[in-house]
Amino acid sequence: MIFLVLIVYAVLILYEFIPLYKQKQWPEFAANAVLGVLSLTVAILLSVEVKIPSPSKPISNVITSVFGK
Amino acid sequence: MYKEQITDREAISMLLLFVIGSTLIIGIGGDAKNDAWIAGIAGILMALPIILVYSRISSLFPGKDLFDILTSILGKVFGKTVAVLYIWYAFHLGALVIRNFGEFINTVAMPETPMLVPMLCLGLVCIVAVRAGIEVLGRISTYLVFPLMAIIMIVQILAIPELKPNYIKPFLSQGIMPILKGGFSAFAFPFAETILFIAVFFSLKTKRSPYKVYFSGLSIAGVLILLLTIRNIMVLGDLLGRLYFPSHVAVSRINIGNFLERIEVSVAFVFIVGAFVKTGVCLFAACRGIGKVFNLTDYKPIVIQTGLLMIYFSYIVYDSIMEMRNWAFKVYPYYAFPFQVILPLVIWIAAEIKTRKKAKQC
Repeated sequence: MIFLVLIVYAVLILYEFIPLYKQKQWPEFAANAVLGVLSLTVAILLSVEVKIPSPSKPISNVITSVFGK
Repeated sequence: MYKEQITDREAISMLLLFVIGSTLIIGIGGDAKNDAWIAGIAGILMALPIILVYSRISSLFPGKDLFDILTSILGKVFGKTVAVLYIWYAFHLGALVIRNFGEFINTVAMPETPMLVPMLCLGLVCIVAVRAGIEVLGRISTYLVFPLMAIIMIVQILAIPELKPNYIKPFLSQGIMPILKGGFSAFAFPFAETILFIAVFFSLKTKRSPYKVYFSGLSIAGVLILLLTIRNIMVLGDLLGRLYFPSHVAVSRINIGNFLERIEVSVAFVFIVGAFVKTGVCLFAACRGIGKVFNLTDYKPIVIQTGLLMIYFSYIVYDSIMEMRNWAFKVYPYYAFPFQVILPLVIWIAAEIKTRKKAKQC
């Protein structure tokens, strides 16, 4: 699984980052790189079946404690 | 940069599909049971004033989207903070819709396929559509809205033999409170979610357009949702509150002369198109917001990564379908209230003050 993820992201880099680099659109390149690193991290974590905590539990706890059931 | 423009008709179809999108399948009015249709009417009535506020904000700043408006009226720092909140809301809403779709496919059609697969399919289509621009979403909505209306109406007519009008009685058997609660939940999901359309309506042609689009889109969608809710109540009766996907079960009861049956795939088709448009609009709003906050010239390069993040987020957001239903009806209305009512009111008041001041100076 993890190899599949890496291959897909390598293709994405070829498809997206290199044109941005060639056109020297640095703000886009930086924003894209940050989002890309984030999504790659999440993808790898999901592919090795790490349980990522979801924000819906804390939100629902806060709301039920304020407004009741 | 090339200026994107959509016509009023495209905008109305987009709004219509956005509103009926995930509502058709999950239904409205949680606790109200066989008074869910009254809760729907209450939801529409509650939504009317806030829709006026949205269209006023949109028409005060023609040619500007939500994030431009925020920075121009609330200042750079506070405006960008609120913009980040709205980016989060759009991102979260898109993820919730993708998750609804995944749960639906996983429950009714493909129980053994991992849920990520249908969600990835939907998400990738949305990424492609948003990368192509808002005009593409608008055009595909105009093409699809008539077939969808036709399907809904035909199914509605075919369901007439199954209707049992006595299921709708007694009216108001549990008092007015469950109806108000159900109405509030219907207000938050789906009617007031149209706040995200302020981020899309920069591309409308005239200043009056937002009013027209919001009101006609919302009234058509409201009538459709009411009709479907009444049909679901009349077909299912007391079962309504216990099903995850009431429309799907109600339509699967249709049986015309032992020949025309199993037409619930029509519900799935309508839902897929609605979910596609809704996720597309959410992804568009999120990407445009990220682009505006980080001063990018174009939002298109970041669509793929944001979309992928949205899909992963939708995969982790709930543990089970029970949690999803509980969240959609019990938690979501309160969670979304600040984004749907409080912040728009603040923005509206600030915008009125700002435009009055500007008019005086001129």
